[in-house]
Amino acid sequence: MVEKTRAELTAALKDCEILTVPYRERGYHLSLDVDRRKLLTVAGFFDERNFYLATIICVDYREYLEIVYFFSHHQFLCRAKVTHKLDPKEPVAPTISSVFDSASWYEREIHEFFGVRFEGHPNMTYLFLHEGIDAYPLRKEKAPVTEEDRALLGSFKPEEGEDTFFVNLGPQHPSTHGVLRVVLKMDGEYIESAEPVLGYLHRMHEKMAENRSFLQFLPNTGRMDYLGAMSFNLGYVTAVERLCGIPVPARAEYVRVIATELNRISSHLLWVGAYLADLGALTPFLYVFDDREQILDILEGITGSRLTYCYFRFGGLYNDVDDNFIGGTKAFIARMRSRFGLYENLVANNVIFINRTKNIGIIEKERARKYGVSGPVLRGAGIPMDIRKTEPYAAYGEMDFDVPTGARGDALDMYHVRVREMENSLKIIEQALKGLPEGPIMTEKAPKKLKPPKGDMYHVVETPRGELGIYIVSDETDKPWRMKWRVPSFSNLMIFPELAKGNMLADAVAILGSLDLVIPEIDR
Amino acid sequence: MDQLIAIFSREPIKTVAGLLGVLIFVVVNALLLTWAERKVAGRMQRRIGPKEVGPFGLIQPIADALKLLGKEILTPRQVEKPLYYLAPTLVFIPVLVSFVVIPFDASLQVRDINVGILVILAFSSLSVLSILFAGWGSNNKYALIGSIRSVAQNVAYEIPLLLSLLPIIMMTNSLSLKEIVEAQKNGWFVFWQPLAFIIYFIAGVAETNRTPFDLPEAESELVAGYHTEYSGMRFALFFLAEYTNIFIVSAIAVTFFLGGYQGPFLPGIVWFLIKSYLLVFVIIWLRWTFPRVRFDQLLNFSWKVLIPLTFINLLVTGGLLKL
Repeated sequence: MVEKTRAELTAALKDCEILTVPYRERGYHLSLDVDRRKLLTVAGFFDERNFYLATIICVDYREYLEIVYFFSHHQFLCRAKVTHKLDPKEPVAPTISSVFDSASWYEREIHEFFGVRFEGHPNMTYLFLHEGIDAYPLRKEKAPVTEEDRALLGSFKPEEGEDTFFVNLGPQHPSTHGVLRVVLKMDGEYIESAEPVLGYLHRMHEKMAENRSFLQFLPNTGRMDYLGAMSFNLGYVTAVERLCGIPVPARAEYVRVIATELNRISSHLLWVGAYLADLGALTPFLYVFDDREQILDILEGITGSRLTYCYFRFGGLYNDVDDNFIGGTKAFIARMRSRFGLYENLVANNVIFINRTKNIGIIEKERARKYGVSGPVLRGAGIPMDIRKTEPYAAYGEMDFDVPTGARGDALDMYHVRVREMENSLKIIEQALKGLPEGPIMTEKAPKKLKPPKGDMYHVVETPRGELGIYIVSDETDKPWRMKWRVPSFSNLMIFPELAKGNMLADAVAILGSLDLVIPEIDR
Repeated sequence: MDQLIAIFSREPIKTVAGLLGVLIFVVVNALLLTWAERKVAGRMQRRIGPKEVGPFGLIQPIADALKLLGKEILTPRQVEKPLYYLAPTLVFIPVLVSFVVIPFDASLQVRDINVGILVILAFSSLSVLSILFAGWGSNNKYALIGSIRSVAQNVAYEIPLLLSLLPIIMMTNSLSLKEIVEAQKNGWFVFWQPLAFIIYFIAGVAETNRTPFDLPEAESELVAGYHTEYSGMRFALFFLAEYTNIFIVSAIAVTFFLGGYQGPFLPGIVWFLIKSYLLVFVIIWLRWTFPRVRFDQLLNFSWKVLIPLTFINLLVTGGLLKL
């Protein structure tokens, strides 16, 4: 499919050089640099062929700013990098939010971090930053905020209409599970429009990454998604290993899979409890915490922590697993399997629960693609895409598991997809335990000081919430020149205003819950 | 002793003593129920519940009440003062009046009025007024939405509540609660009117704003609904009223369907309390089991299911009585 896409792209663009890139080292197949006129043509080309826009990244190379677009496909493995160079003095680029809805927020993000103006963007306001900011934080040389942008900072002021009023869902609100603020424009009980306001937990992890070595940044990764810290760790560690070509022993790969899947189950369990609490059922929360506790105990034994893990190292693991861990995991598998029936009876068959979630917040396949949603939300919408299958990392290539999908794309499907994902995670853990090889857990060739080759790399992993993409630009030092995190909750939240429109307030809570958002991951 | 009884039989003294007794019962009942709620919830959620303060944590509600009493009485700046102050007081009046006519035992009733059930129903509709006052007076959007929901909900569920009690009144030809209890000497009405009992119970749970019908205070949507802006003792009054309401709903169910204070061996009041608290337990049980329904589903359920069913039930009862 890569060759076919390349040929079609060549035909469509004519005078453009399309490079084929070694996928194993770089994480993408095709690379092309386009000018301003061609950008929309390229976006349209990928849109017609049902690609989705994974992310938009901006990199400051001092001489020029480069906007990087990554297009991927749900059905087959083909990732294309499209770049567009800008003048750092007057950075202006055309928007592609008319083609891909997901571009809208990424462009706003680049606008406030780099000062790039996107012409034709419908809502070029600030997403994360507050009024006190005086420069574009990710620019390599200090660039003061322009007067025009200063007016946009904190410009968000809801206006009440004749029959409508505003309700703030957050930033301190029981159902947003963190400091997300959604401004709902209500007409009685019905929502006319919803506008998420982010940035209450913004810590600028991407800037931090530029100021510390690869290893020093490792603990930060667990702080982004505190519920799926293991997946974020694994994503970062495998990305750096891929960049620097560090081999990993087989035993470490297997243990990584076990630990990550345990963490995935604990994340999904917490979601089940929190989601039902959103719907007003408070008891399941305690039940899932009981199960989750077992996982935390198991992981505490090998990692030393219970929430924000930092267990993996470049080239292996922090320490080896013991019999306690293996025995405990086996006992947990048996216990967890016996619990699914209980959840089925208590939760999934409850008529109130079904009434509250069935046909609520339906995500059509096309809309899911346009917004670039991923993970259980995408699979709930009926697209069987799982990065553990399509681009296996760690030892996932040797595991046999299913990718559950939903039929309707509503909140009930999201529930069933996540529960079945837990069952599959148990299956993976069981296989990994059975096939766990003996041997070292740390490669002997791990360098003390990392010397990554010059260039860029895009690496994706499947976290409990979906596609995590890590884009690293290296300048041959032990610190990355630029590191961008494409986080799944950010894309999944983007679709929320569309879903909430016209629904009732109670549905908004049900929909927001079904997306399984982790706010520190969105804000980074 | 006879003298004492004679003194207490005199009307004014009897009424005053009865009202005092009711006040004490309301407070004790609310304290007991908060404890029971937490204990039952704890057991249902695989934990223990309160156990540190007093034996089995029995003193816990008193400690909580003292804490609430000790809190500074905050009045937010934007509130509509008269309504805001009035609401927590007003919420208590219908609750107290209902107790006056409930027969705890054959002789233990403050006043046997021949329109007893009408008094209860009329006054319990008043409680929605105080919720509306609270929501409107708080000048807060969450509170306002909560109170508007509450009005719609109470209007919708008042009707099946009333209609489900009508067949009993037709069967006994009386509105006096005592006579209704006496009419159940040979068999509880729940066996004659099982449908009416179920409908009454559902509507009753909805009237008390409890899960799965706790939309006015749905914490995941409205933070705390109509009492968002209330704290300290004012909040405690709403809380007290809620628990008293639960007991009243159960007590009326017992009076109408479960033979009231009648039962073998034990004194009447014991039977009455056992039956009532069993129903209270069921209401607590429901809360810790079910999710919350949505607003339109809630109203649809009343208008499209419960009300037609009560009408059918009424027709069938009327027809059978005529035969």
